[in-house]
Amino acid sequence: MPEYRVLLIESNRIMMERLSSVVRNTKNFQLVSRAMDAREALGQGGVFVPNLILLDIDAQESMQLVREFVRAFPQAGILALSSQWNAQAASTVVKAGAKGYLIKPFTSDELIAAINTFGNSGMGMISEVMTFFSPKGKSGKTTLIANLGMALAQKSGQNVAIIDADLQFGDMAVFFNLDPQSTIVEATRDIKFLSPISLNSYFMPIADHVRVLCGTKRPEFAEDVSPKAFAEMISMARSLFRYILVDVPSAFNPISVAAAEASEQVYLVSMISGGYEDKHMRRALDIFKAWPDYETKVKTIFTRVEPCDIQKQQQLETLIEYPVCSILPNEYLLVSEAANNGRMAVDIKPGSPLARSIDLLAAKICGRPHKVG
Amino acid sequence: MVKQKVEEEIRSGIIMTVFSTASAVGKTLLSINMAAELARSGYKVCVVDLDLQFGDICNYLHLSPQKTIYDAQKAAENTVGQLDYGEYMTPYEYEDTIFSVLAAPQKMEEAYNISTQAVIEVLAGIRGEYDYVVLDTTATFSDLNLAVMDLSTMITFVGIVDFIPTIKNMKVGYDTMRSIGYEKNKIRFVLNRSNSKTHIELQDVEQLLEERFYHILPNDFLTAIDSIHQGIPLVINDEETALSRGMQELIEKYTNRARQRSSRKNASLSSWVKRLFK
Ligand SMILES: Nc1ncnc2c1ncn2[C@@H]1O[C@H](COP(=O)(O)OP(=O)(O)OP(=O)(O)O)[C@@H](O)[C@H]1O
Ligand SMILES: Nc1ncnc2c1ncn2[C@@H]1O[C@H](COP(=O)(O)OP(=O)(O)OP(=O)(O)O)[C@@H](O)[C@H]1O
Ligand SMILES: [Mg+2]
Ligand SMILES: [Mg+2]
Repeated sequence: MPEYRVLLIESNRIMMERLSSVVRNTKNFQLVSRAMDAREALGQGGVFVPNLILLDIDAQESMQLVREFVRAFPQAGILALSSQWNAQAASTVVKAGAKGYLIKPFTSDELIAAINTFGNSGMGMISEVMTFFSPKGKSGKTTLIANLGMALAQKSGQNVAIIDADLQFGDMAVFFNLDPQSTIVEATRDIKFLSPISLNSYFMPIADHVRVLCGTKRPEFAEDVSPKAFAEMISMARSLFRYILVDVPSAFNPISVAAAEASEQVYLVSMISGGYEDKHMRRALDIFKAWPDYETKVKTIFTRVEPCDIQKQQQLETLIEYPVCSILPNEYLLVSEAANNGRMAVDIKPGSPLARSIDLLAAKICGRPHKVG
Repeated sequence: MVKQKVEEEIRSGIIMTVFSTASAVGKTLLSINMAAELARSGYKVCVVDLDLQFGDICNYLHLSPQKTIYDAQKAAENTVGQLDYGEYMTPYEYEDTIFSVLAAPQKMEEAYNISTQAVIEVLAGIRGEYDYVVLDTTATFSDLNLAVMDLSTMITFVGIVDFIPTIKNMKVGYDTMRSIGYEKNKIRFVLNRSNSKTHIELQDVEQLLEERFYHILPNDFLTAIDSIHQGIPLVINDEETALSRGMQELIEKYTNRARQRSSRKNASLSSWVKRLFK
């Protein structure tokens, strides 16, 4: 583990003493400088070459301050300290360049967890939430999300979260063969008392850099998940993950709408099955067209497309009068075998046409410049 | 006159809800075929599309409704006493079979803004005008679905066996239905698309669900899709298939009707005979 040289800025004397002793007593952490006044630290702190700045943001206007610290200490990571979790403030400081957000007072374990968590995601504070919306069920979206999550983590090396918000009949736990201790029900119930670090433990690790927040265990628990707490939870998860993929119930309902509104990208997913899926897709698109930025925010995906080629894609575009972002081939046996065995198609058959299509989509997502705000 | 009035008031149609806890299991296809088969048997039938946002009934029957359930509930709201629901129905007619369709709303905003209470009121009204009211639903325990299942005479719970997540949802859904306290007899478990490409044994599923299938319908994708594309329910289509026969048998069980030995065969035979002697 690397050595952390800490610059601590805290305006309250008692808190300062308390945090100083935590830092000093944490293995591999050295308290190289401390200040009660941030301005002073900006001038003097550089002498001691800190590589980690713990910055109290309760006292000052944080946005400006964080910017100045980023400029003054380009080699250091900045963790904002606050006495309570505030999604708005967290997103503000993160946009300003902080690596993360830590609730004070913290313990040694929490400090280490914060460094590990924020460090792993390349301190990946910029995050992108993607909701997969389907007009009707059986669109292939859970299959897509599970495989795309793995592909995104592999490609980017950054932290990826899958949130199963298909509240009544979420399938993620079955897809990954998990028996979760905590689910979306507990995470949203507890959200008021959580910080990003403690929220992280509600997610189950399933692969390198991939964690899943599983759905409810029984349909009646769905009522316990309020759309408001759900939106707060997504916003907190942003400081933990670079990519957040959200599975929602089909059609328009409070939770799918809340997820869509909390997202940078909404993917409308439909499976080709010889019925009226293009009509349903158009109908759903019409609703999203109320958003002024729908053309950049809303993408469409068709699954089980045969033949899975550019002509077919163009044909679908003509049908729905909207660009089709991605098409996935028909691979029924592969995906159902995979799901039956708690494995992912992209792992079982990395070279399959399905895996290649999903890889392509992952590459598009990774290559996309991040748009702040 | 008075007597007839009394009779009409006594009429309280049988409500048959088609429900599932997984999507795309064939609820809509089954709903229209149940309606068509009941109508063909001489009953006055109405099928209501309660998939308010993305309903398929009119798609599958090639109907373009002028009025929908949205208009019906609006009218009911503004009417004191009994409303004549006839004008909100879209008739479906093929050869000798005729039944009514109460269509899903045209606009999404309308769909999003229909209250459960309003639907219940409409159903209470319709019930007096039909022998059978078939309700097609969505695969979720929504307020609406729970409310209509409460007042249903019978619930056809449709399942398919494709892969494990679906079976999980069938199990969880069925357990939930039972925990709601519905009489066992009220829920009829129908397996659709049997023999589709899976490696899961039906007995295993029955064991898991602790329930036998009341009826099993075969998998026949081409026949199913063909019916949707033609806009004609399988049971009144000219071609008899194992799937259409299976659906007729289900209705026979429901109506406790001894199978009238292929009335359709007779019909086609007689026309064939007629042609011979022309
Ligand atoms: N690309 C594909 N080709 C063929 N079959 C597929 C494909 N993707 C998914 N399927 C199959 O379609 C079914 C539905 O898949 P999945 O569960 O991913 O969809 P969903 O939209 O999440 O469904 P639900 O509405 O039940 O949540 C499964 O049987 C799955 O194996
Ligand atoms: N027995 C069957 N064999 C083969 N295909 C079938 C069978 N029954 C239904 N299907 C097909 O399955 C698809 C889904 O059917 P349907 O739309 O009736 O399902 P649903 O339960 O109403 O779906 P949703 O929940 O999305 O409204 C249709 O393409 C239909 O043709
Ligand atoms: Mg799903
Ligand atoms: Mg349907």
